[in-house]
Amino acid sequence: MRRILNAAVWMSLFTLVFAASPLLAQKSKPAKIKAAAFQVEMIQSDEIKLPAEFQVALYENLVRQLEKKGFSHVYRDGDRNAPSVANLVVLHSTVRGFKAGSEKARQVTTVSGATSITIHCQFTRPDGTSLLDQDVNGKVRFFGGNLRATYDFAKKAANAAQEHFSTTGPE
Amino acid sequence: MTSRSTMVVVGVASLFAGLVMPAGNAQQAPGTVKAVQVTGLSGVKDNTKGTLNVGNGQLHFVRGKASSDVTAASIQDVVTGGDSQRAVGGTIGLMSMAAPYGGGRVLSLFRTKIDTLTIKYRDADGGLHGAIFTMPVGTADVIKKELVAQGAHTTAPAEPTPVATSSTSPNKEQKQ
Repeated sequence: MRRILNAAVWMSLFTLVFAASPLLAQKSKPAKIKAAAFQVEMIQSDEIKLPAEFQVALYENLVRQLEKKGFSHVYRDGDRNAPSVANLVVLHSTVRGFKAGSEKARQVTTVSGATSITIHCQFTRPDGTSLLDQDVNGKVRFFGGNLRATYDFAKKAANAAQEHFSTTGPE
Repeated sequence: MTSRSTMVVVGVASLFAGLVMPAGNAQQAPGTVKAVQVTGLSGVKDNTKGTLNVGNGQLHFVRGKASSDVTAASIQDVVTGGDSQRAVGGTIGLMSMAAPYGGGRVLSLFRTKIDTLTIKYRDADGGLHGAIFTMPVGTADVIKKELVAQGAHTTAPAEPTPVATSSTSPNKEQKQ
């Protein structure tokens, strides 16, 4: 009887520890930074040669995905209305790695021909103050054209933005 | 037995003919080319089929009765490239993936070459946009030349004709 009681006590202790840890982790999450609007700069690829269609697809998908994540004011590179917006966050993206891959190889072999792209995303204020630096990658392994990697990247980058920024929050 | 093998040969030959013939029907009226807007054009869904032509200082993408125009003078960069796509695509291409003995994969080996046309342009507020089109091989350079003649800018003014370039060209076969 005592054994069973002991086991029950230990079980409840373990449950408490494991259940409480995620709750504690949530508390320690940093507060989201206020971003009334985003301005997406054109993707830079000075060191790595990136085909023009990839550059444009990355940029367009990024704008679209940020809009989908609920950021209603997403300004494009060079938009004259952007500088007047308070709490603007500028997204600079620089290509760090690119593997073109092959759609044909993917379709024929399934295992080879993956397209991958790694981009360094830097979220800053218009004055250059850095808010967040993160490497984000985009991949297409099995199905879809090579440009699908740009969609994958954009989704991940927009998720990172949603995770760290909010339209309502501390400045 | 002989007639059966003849039928097989004829069947295979007609399949190949079917794969090759669409490339021949590529061009329409002079200056107008069939194109697919892959992404980027404002108000147009991705992968929309239509026709592309240049006139009155504008790039027109017409799909059905609707038309999207981009002023040539607002175009900051025009770049052409090469690509290839599955000869048998769409629903049939998707269904063929379920074919036994890797039949669908064999079909993936048959590909048609296409041209890509990428443009970067600015809207009225100065915001940068980009758009990607695919079109039959050999037609992207024609559109590019017309755009440049009507005031568009380009960072790659003298590109070799996509048809003439080999598969080793850096611009070609970046995507397969």
